[in-house]
Amino acid sequence: MTDDFATLDATSQAELVRTGQVSPLELVDAAINRVEKLNPELNAVIHPLFERARAEAAKTGGADGPFHGVPILFKDLGCQVEGEPYHEGMKFLKGADFRPKHTDNLAKKYFDAGFILIGRTNTPELGLVPTTEPVAHGATHNPWQLGRTSGGSSGGSAAAVASGMVPVAHANDGGGSIRIPASCCGLVGLKPTRGRTSTGPELNDISQFLMTELCVSRTVRDTAAVLDSVNGPFPGDATQAPPPSRPYLDEVGTDPGKLKIGIQTTNPIGGTPIHPDCVAAAENAAKLLESLGHTVEVAAPKGFDSDELIMQFGAVWAADCSYLLTDWGKKVGREPTADDVEILTWALAEMGKSVTATQLVEAVTEAMKANRVAAQWWDKGADGDGFDLLLTPTLGEPPVKHGTFDSTPDDPLRGFFRSAGFVPYTAQFNMSGQPGISLPLHWNDERLPIGVQLVAAFGREDLLLRVAAQLETAQPWVDRRPPVFA
Amino acid sequence: MGDDLAQLDATAQAALVRNGDATPSELVEAAIARIETLQPTLNALTTNRFERALDDAKLADAGEGVATADAPFRGVPFLLKDLAIPMAGEPAYDGMRALKEAGYVATETSHLARRWQEAGFIILGRTNTPELGIMPTTEPEAYGPTHNPWDTDKTAGGSSGGSAAAVASGMVPAAHASDGGGSIRIPAACCGLVGLKTSRGRISVGPGSGEIARPLSVQFAVTRTVRDAAALLDVAAGPEPGDPFVAPHLARPYADLLGSEPSPLRIGLMTTMPGTDEPVHPDCVAAAETAARLLEASGHKVEIAHPSALDTPERLDAFIPIWSTMAASNMARLGRLIGRELGQDDVEPLTWLLADHGHKVDSVAYTDALFAMQSFARRYMQWWSDGWDLLITPALGEPPPDLGVLSTPDDPYVGFGKGATFTPYTPAANQNGQPAISVPISQGADGMPAGVQLIADYGREDLLIQLAALLEVGAPWSDRRPAVHA
Repeated sequence: MTDDFATLDATSQAELVRTGQVSPLELVDAAINRVEKLNPELNAVIHPLFERARAEAAKTGGADGPFHGVPILFKDLGCQVEGEPYHEGMKFLKGADFRPKHTDNLAKKYFDAGFILIGRTNTPELGLVPTTEPVAHGATHNPWQLGRTSGGSSGGSAAAVASGMVPVAHANDGGGSIRIPASCCGLVGLKPTRGRTSTGPELNDISQFLMTELCVSRTVRDTAAVLDSVNGPFPGDATQAPPPSRPYLDEVGTDPGKLKIGIQTTNPIGGTPIHPDCVAAAENAAKLLESLGHTVEVAAPKGFDSDELIMQFGAVWAADCSYLLTDWGKKVGREPTADDVEILTWALAEMGKSVTATQLVEAVTEAMKANRVAAQWWDKGADGDGFDLLLTPTLGEPPVKHGTFDSTPDDPLRGFFRSAGFVPYTAQFNMSGQPGISLPLHWNDERLPIGVQLVAAFGREDLLLRVAAQLETAQPWVDRRPPVFA
Repeated sequence: MGDDLAQLDATAQAALVRNGDATPSELVEAAIARIETLQPTLNALTTNRFERALDDAKLADAGEGVATADAPFRGVPFLLKDLAIPMAGEPAYDGMRALKEAGYVATETSHLARRWQEAGFIILGRTNTPELGIMPTTEPEAYGPTHNPWDTDKTAGGSSGGSAAAVASGMVPAAHASDGGGSIRIPAACCGLVGLKTSRGRISVGPGSGEIARPLSVQFAVTRTVRDAAALLDVAAGPEPGDPFVAPHLARPYADLLGSEPSPLRIGLMTTMPGTDEPVHPDCVAAAETAARLLEASGHKVEIAHPSALDTPERLDAFIPIWSTMAASNMARLGRLIGRELGQDDVEPLTWLLADHGHKVDSVAYTDALFAMQSFARRYMQWWSDGWDLLITPALGEPPPDLGVLSTPDDPYVGFGKGATFTPYTPAANQNGQPAISVPISQGADGMPAGVQLIADYGREDLLIQLAALLEVGAPWSDRRPAVHA
């Protein structure tokens, strides 16, 4: 079935409820129907929470917030909900039927905003790769072309939103995991500034400083309004982004002024050349930005291009992987073995075991120094280059076929290294903590979405949202529908 | 010798210059004379740069140099702690013998050193610190002990003990200091000064260090007056490009808060020893109670209360892994600076024990420690969300002990262990990233200064400055002079 709600963004759905034209239960029932219809093809939702959702919709309709009664999905990594299944893409947790004993801060914020949770979405194991093909739950398909990646690690959420199951879904980003699937599925994906949303109490924002959380959406106004609802610190958060001076929704429609923009279409980490479709996406966006009065020149920050830094960063990821396996072992009550996890996960965790605390501190220190060099590019002071935005393709290649990033027993880190050419533009800004947004401004000849990324200075989501809304108006994408759509 | 300038705080000395009543050279020459008189007794400085300072002062006389003519502290003499605040082309030893012997000269200037100079301060030298800043007393083998100006047999506290002795004795009106477990507040309490530990992310530690790699440490200063603390914070606070996170910005200058009172606050008073039944010294209890009475008299509500997390043994879980990792990491880093690996013979026995332990910490154990730190912070900081505005504690658990009590090189952990009852109140704020201030509110039976610590929610230095100013009016300390004073 097709219903009228599938094409509406969260803001519109909330408006229908607020004006009494539809009940939360109607919205939730319709969303559940769409999931049931589409999920056999897409495998986006791995934990349906339909009964819980219907009960809540019927009883309260969700909390009395701006999104009262609107259905949402949470990625099955982050946003833990007490008592509900939670696997982080791991067969280890699936086998243990793991259920959290707490609800995460961000989940509480989503609930307080009025959203009704109808299920959880697929993710690669521990969110380690930029595609969503976990052994535990199988591959999520891209609604634009089955058999292709929907990106990762928030690939389940992206496929669900792109196919119209729900208007927005929770997503998070430790190396590109909001922006990558947004690019693959033709969505808006904003990675907010470090500390903008709380990652607690599950995560630690010092050791897990790469991770930020928000959502994927179809419209800029939804991303802005969700950010308004869920931003802000909780007691004990170690990193807190500078608070916004006014609601982010007010940025949508505000003239961004004339911006100084640098475009980079070469591979910032060397090696693989960028696919022409991705270069074309960024170049077309540059033309569009110029037509809107902005200045675009070929320019990019320095600092992130050191091979040594990349290797050190591998150590940080490996160490975190080791920590996570150890920690999940404690929570489940037995240590995971090689048989419990995927090949890449085990190889990374083994690598991580040999990383010492001092190596970790050194790697982080070097990353911080690189950030300081890079940040000069955005700095408006006397020593800075004074750019407002960096424009890049979001990805180095169009959405790849399933299996492309598989690791093998003979080459257990293959997936990690192979994906480097796919995601050369995103992880730098997890290091720096700056906000970046992927926008669906281009489709290639195969009708696959090719996103472009804009990166602003630390704390400047306001600027990203202003220019994103300007681009959305100039070249609307909301009516473009994938072949698999509700 | 005594001169009238020694009585003046930095704000007053700056006013002399601004009004044409003194030149920067006059201020600097007088300060050099005071240092030369007092240094043999106190051993507050490790290195001086008198010639350069005189050159800097001559430039300032002519309105030239790095500071503009209207810089707020133009020509005011200042000292830097010899720890983690390098100036390019000048020595920086971090309390280490090996760096001094190697004749190490720094290659970059820290943001804060640059800001102090741009604010007009003339830097006369660097002050003594325990090796790598590890101890709450300033008795490095390489540079000898710093003596407390109130009683030269006693510790000046640590690790900013050199700076505190210099300011308390009138050598300079204010000096740079840093705090990773109490190292601003402890010497401030020992020497009768105002010591504000800032919020994590308030003052950049770049470009050489990183707030994420070293999450416990912050930088600022020790001063004799609250107005100096506020005015210095105005020049030191604020982000530098590439900072990994930034404390929330206050819209108006901190200096403007003086004289404005906050609306009635709910304040908790704690005078028991965290986690144990060990007694707190009556002089220390009296300092906290005096402050409580004064604030109550100003209309605030004071109750016996504190966050229960402070009494749990987990409060210290994070410290040994993090501190020992820092010791190991710092030894490795400093070894790289002078081109050779530092070994047991290069450092004090305590440093070696800690670093040796630190080298054995793996990344999983270190990450565990960071989780312990944040899980403590989440429990502890909830207290502020539960409706409390401020926590009052004694700054120290005991009055300043004699030199040789805390530093026991023959059996290093004996002295180190005594820190548990000497400084039980300070480390929590480092774990939590929140601001805290030590205010010299009273004197003990032996005439030694006794400090009270005020602790606020994250980002609320404004509240601390307002309340410290109230205490300064209610129990003025600026006329009390130590035995050794210019």
